[in-house]
Amino acid sequence: MLVLVSTDSEAERDPLASPDAANALLQRVATGDQRAFSDLYDLTASRMLGLVRHVLKDHSQSEEVVQEVMLEIWQTAARFDPNKGKAVTWMLTMAHRRAIDRVRSAQSSRDRDTKVGIRDLDREFDSVSESVEIRVEHDRVEKALSRLTDLQRQAVELAYYGGYSHSEVAEMLSVPIGTVKTRLRDGMIRLREEMGVAS
Amino acid sequence: MSRSESHDPIDLRRLGAGAADTDVEAEFDYAEFGDVATELALALPPVSPSPDLKARLMSQVAVTPQLPAQAVEPAPTAGLSPVPSLAPAASSATDARPASPAEQRASARWFTRTSATLVAAAAAVALFFGGVVSANLFQPGDDAAQQLAAIVAAPDVQTVAAPVSDGGSATLVSSESLGLSAMVFEGLPELSDDEAYALWYITDGQPTPAGLFTVDADGQVVQVLDGAFEAGTIVGVTVEPSTGSPAPTTTPIVAIPTQA
Repeated sequence: MLVLVSTDSEAERDPLASPDAANALLQRVATGDQRAFSDLYDLTASRMLGLVRHVLKDHSQSEEVVQEVMLEIWQTAARFDPNKGKAVTWMLTMAHRRAIDRVRSAQSSRDRDTKVGIRDLDREFDSVSESVEIRVEHDRVEKALSRLTDLQRQAVELAYYGGYSHSEVAEMLSVPIGTVKTRLRDGMIRLREEMGVAS
Repeated sequence: MSRSESHDPIDLRRLGAGAADTDVEAEFDYAEFGDVATELALALPPVSPSPDLKARLMSQVAVTPQLPAQAVEPAPTAGLSPVPSLAPAASSATDARPASPAEQRASARWFTRTSATLVAAAAAVALFFGGVVSANLFQPGDDAAQQLAAIVAAPDVQTVAAPVSDGGSATLVSSESLGLSAMVFEGLPELSDDEAYALWYITDGQPTPAGLFTVDADGQVVQVLDGAFEAGTIVGVTVEPSTGSPAPTTTPIVAIPTQA
């Protein structure tokens, strides 16, 4: 199941509510400002860990990934270009990629398969569909996801929230990889429209 | 992420977004959909990291050099020498400048009250030297490393780097709330057997001994200062007889002011 069973979430400052704050902090971090880095960590770490743990499942591995990613953010902060996107996007992209890198290592995959039990390729389409319901906090995102077709939503959920590669999603859903890419792309474009993301 | 940008996910990798992925064809298209992905990520429940994650991270940050804005991929083993950030300094620090070697050596000034110039210099140095030394300095369980980790994790941590007149560099990491400071040295010359480096807290022109230490041929050492650190004090280093001295007897090889 991809449903989060943990309930230890907490209401925190949402970096999205103030993307400028994260941007400004990251630009100060680029000048070697450790205090700004500390603030940036406080602002974003729980969201980053929420994402990484959702993909990886294992808490201690997820903390390791967050530590690696945060250190990389410190090292490469000067390469963030605020004209090309938000700091939080830059950071969470790194985290998502690193989580997926980790999950694709053999040991992680075994661990996750045990916890998620979703890589059973013999499963019926329907049971996959049921198992990838995502509990979302954001009404806006939930509403936007509900506007997708079932097939689009599956592709988005498996590829992003699940961290599965296109070929893995194709196998799970027994459809050609090109179909997966099309559904995913259409789904993401639809989501953008529904959520009114300022790009 | 702008919709009009390149769709090539390699772009993000150049930004340092992660290790090479062998499965490029099958990966999520961050370049195109990073903005939407961020919304999806933020819709997940946050998970609080354990407190020691931040402590570990901040101690790494204190000793990990930053990479310049335009450069090759991050090297897995960062260099040992100080890496000045090429990023433009914050505009608020434009009047500041790194402390000159003359200032570092000027024992007369060293004993005087912290001047505004030195404070400004310290701020500039802190900006130019984000991280100074290799994380390989420490052995696990090292007391100095643990204390350094605690200092850099403190909310009021100050970090100031300065060159050492005899060669090498020194970075002072301090926290008034903890009452602790540590000096991280690199490239420090080895002394003869009858000499030692002496640390001093100088407050209102009065030096207080803060410990003796020596250094191996590798020139690297982390030294937590004896006594209580107070913001605004100056930390200095002299070469003294190995038995120590009640007050400095030689010109300091480095003196680092802190902000009150």
